[in-house]
Amino acid sequence: MPSVSFEHIVKRFGAVTVLDGLNLTVEKGDFLVLLGPSGCGKTTLLNLLAGLLDVSSGRIMIGDRDVTELDPKDRGLAMVFQSYALYPTKTVEGNLRFGLSARKLPKAEADARVTWASELLQLTPLMRRKPSELSGGQRQRVAIGRALVKHADVLLFDEPLSNLDAKLRTEMRLEIKKLHDTLSPTVVYVTHDQIEAMTMATKIAIMNGGEIQQFGTPDEVYENPANLFVASFIGSPAMNLTNARFRITDGSPGAMFDNGTKMDLTGYDFVSTPQDGDAIAVGMRPEHFLIDTQGTQQSHSAFDLTVKMVERTGSDALISLEFADDQLFVRAEPDRAAKTRPGETVSVQYPTAKLNLFDAREGRRL
Amino acid sequence: MTDTNVMYPRKPKRITGRSIAVLVFLSMAAMFFCVPLYVLIVTSFKEMDQIREGAMFSLPTKWTLEAWHFAWFEACSGLNCSGLRAGFWNSVVILVPSLTASIALSMVTGYALALWDVKWAGPFLFVLFLCAFVPFQIIMYPLIRLTVTMGIYGSTTAIAFVHTVLAMPILTLIFRNFYKDIPPELIKAAIMDSGSFWRIFVEIILPMSGNILIVVLILQITSIWNDYLIGVTFGGLGTKPMTVHLANMVTVSTGTVSYNVNMAAALLTAIPPLVIYFVLGKFFVQGIAAGAIKG
Amino acid sequence: MPLRWSRITPQIALAPAVGVTLVAFLGAIGWTILMSFTRSRRLPEYEIDWDNPFRQFNRLFNDAGWQISLQNLIVLALGSALAIVVGFILAAMIERERRGEDVFRTVFLYPLAVSLIVTGVAWRWILNPQFGIESLLRGLGWESASFNWLSDPATAMYAIIIASIWQSAGFYMALMLAGLKGINTEIWSAARIDGVRLWRVYIEIIIPMMKFTFLTCAILLSLGVIKAFDIVLAMTNGGPGQSTWVPAYYTINAMSAKGNLGLASAAAVLMLLITLAVFLPLVALTSWQQRQARKGHAT
Repeated sequence: MPSVSFEHIVKRFGAVTVLDGLNLTVEKGDFLVLLGPSGCGKTTLLNLLAGLLDVSSGRIMIGDRDVTELDPKDRGLAMVFQSYALYPTKTVEGNLRFGLSARKLPKAEADARVTWASELLQLTPLMRRKPSELSGGQRQRVAIGRALVKHADVLLFDEPLSNLDAKLRTEMRLEIKKLHDTLSPTVVYVTHDQIEAMTMATKIAIMNGGEIQQFGTPDEVYENPANLFVASFIGSPAMNLTNARFRITDGSPGAMFDNGTKMDLTGYDFVSTPQDGDAIAVGMRPEHFLIDTQGTQQSHSAFDLTVKMVERTGSDALISLEFADDQLFVRAEPDRAAKTRPGETVSVQYPTAKLNLFDAREGRRL
Repeated sequence: MTDTNVMYPRKPKRITGRSIAVLVFLSMAAMFFCVPLYVLIVTSFKEMDQIREGAMFSLPTKWTLEAWHFAWFEACSGLNCSGLRAGFWNSVVILVPSLTASIALSMVTGYALALWDVKWAGPFLFVLFLCAFVPFQIIMYPLIRLTVTMGIYGSTTAIAFVHTVLAMPILTLIFRNFYKDIPPELIKAAIMDSGSFWRIFVEIILPMSGNILIVVLILQITSIWNDYLIGVTFGGLGTKPMTVHLANMVTVSTGTVSYNVNMAAALLTAIPPLVIYFVLGKFFVQGIAAGAIKG
Repeated sequence: MPLRWSRITPQIALAPAVGVTLVAFLGAIGWTILMSFTRSRRLPEYEIDWDNPFRQFNRLFNDAGWQISLQNLIVLALGSALAIVVGFILAAMIERERRGEDVFRTVFLYPLAVSLIVTGVAWRWILNPQFGIESLLRGLGWESASFNWLSDPATAMYAIIIASIWQSAGFYMALMLAGLKGINTEIWSAARIDGVRLWRVYIEIIIPMMKFTFLTCAILLSLGVIKAFDIVLAMTNGGPGQSTWVPAYYTINAMSAKGNLGLASAAAVLMLLITLAVFLPLVALTSWQQRQARKGHAT
């Protein structure tokens, strides 16, 4: 299973530059998720790797092969499409076999692969059916099977689950994950769904505006977002981001919010230290708040805040609190939320180590 | 209409009244449209004596196939008096290669233009679009010279060749518009799976083309069969299609005119496309719509 | 750099079509345009007549036959336009009534499946003064009935127009029917709830909504009229005299009967120019619609 690397990739469509000097390397066996809002260039990047689009400049390597100028079929890839793209006039078996058509395989080998894939994906009873006679989940499995029979070293997925309903999506997510664990191919998977990214990826590349905002493990991008975009994009419910000014009081760092509220930042692991008076954004994850804890914990900031609204989402609840001319969303147990009424005061605490501070102008992490 | 009945219980009566008026009007219009076919049919079964009496709408007093027999076996077209059958077989001989060549050529062209990344596809399509509407007269003489140079002028091959050339732009546009609606991901998947232009065409695209193929087939059969101008221009002695034979038969007539034979000959010429039309009318409508609007 | 067959094969596959386009269309058009500026008679001369390059065009416009052809072209266009009106009325009735849709559509459209030569035979028979509708009506007591249109230069064009309306009305009906079916049914419900009269719905709402269908029909009709040859040949063969000549007929006649290639080429070039004059609005319309569609996607 080879690694995949993009080197100084530039892609223009006419006068529009979609990707401008992008670099990215996927280690072999990695499950890379390209995550970003629509129009961020993630699908373009995938199509460039597949060979369905041509780079304007730059180089794409698979293992130690330069595939930049190769035809798609010669790149040793297989791809699963959003719409499944099953051949409507062929049976399930025909679809699997057509995937092998560019490879001059002996018949026995082709048969063995088709059988293997159909058993792996429980397609055996469906082999004689046409795609129009299959359910969405079955079509999805055929599309994956068509990719697997090729024994490709690198598997590409282009938003493969977005046409499925919520329940099936959860099932297929697990199934793809399981396939990766057993066959461990190198996977490049494009999605705009962060839950898919967090659950399946070994590496996530978050893209926006044709640039990679952050590349790291799911935990890294979640707990240590590299900039404001990543911080606001990753997480549902989203991270609370509140504007403040950086203040050094008596030699210890702190944040002063617009309404005068102060927060001690001692114990925060600064990447780079800002100047006194710089505009910053303070990020707090809704789930890291402690509610009703007696006494101030070690290196926590404590606030008493007024409740604005309570939202129940089923397994969870969100309480929105008035804070510094803004609001903070705090995750709470449903039982606790049920007792809360707008207008009440709630005391919450937030651990300084879990804070995320950003330069408000440039967006980078501090 | 049923919806309305539910919503306005008192209205159905008025609507039915209007419906009857509309149906009566449509039926009268339909009768008017049927008149030419009707007189063709009844006249072709009459004897000349009855025709001379002048009641053109009356049914034959004695039904006879004589005129049909004569039109098929003996009627004169120019100096050749072996009936329409020679023209019929010429038309068949012209039709088969014209259909095969024009459809094969435009199908592959439409497929390549719609689904493959060809840089100059846009300008080429625009030129084809223009060519589809060019009057035949402006390319007629050069095509005569071209077929003379190729050594086929005056043969059914020449007629088939010209049909193929003339149909290529519009058929290509029809096929291209059909293939353009194939989901792009499907062709991407096929390119990754196989990458072979011809293999994808034969295994994936051709099996998906059934509907449009019938539409184009009907469009082409009727237009080639009914053509007069190309046949008369490019055909030689003994290779002219049925329409040309018919035209000669009814215009250049010596002595008394056998109207019943003329009508039978016209019907014989009209029967093949009419049969196709009545059997596959739905596709015919799609065909003319595709040929007209999408062109 | 490796050979990329995925690039080359489609271009090879397109080669025959490109060849046909270049030789049989573009080349042939260029050749005919060249001919129109030469003194070619029966055989082509390739030298442009620099002394008087527009010699053939001058001759053309001084030729009574060409003037008649142009007049008839306009008469035929205006007369055949009735086919669009008839087509719309039929389509509107069929669409509102729904009952018998298939039967009516089949009946109204069948003339299109028949060769125009056959159409000519049928209508000439109906208009036959001895045995046709004229004698029928006189036999019924209408002594002054006169349907001998084909032999009178003043009326022969009307006979052609009637035959061509009969032949093409079904075609426009089919296009109109497709257009009518594309209209949201809620429009009808809304109009009914507002209590608007049916004819006002058609005139004020439906017809304006179908303006592109009408425009398409009008352009197709014009293109068809310019090409009209078979129907003239089958109905009157240009006669009586030159009274039913049209440009398409004139051109063929100049080439085959007169054997004057230069004159025929000039006439063909003018046919091309007339076609372009009709055709350019269609191109503009199509690109405008595409832009609209793209805008629709964007929002």
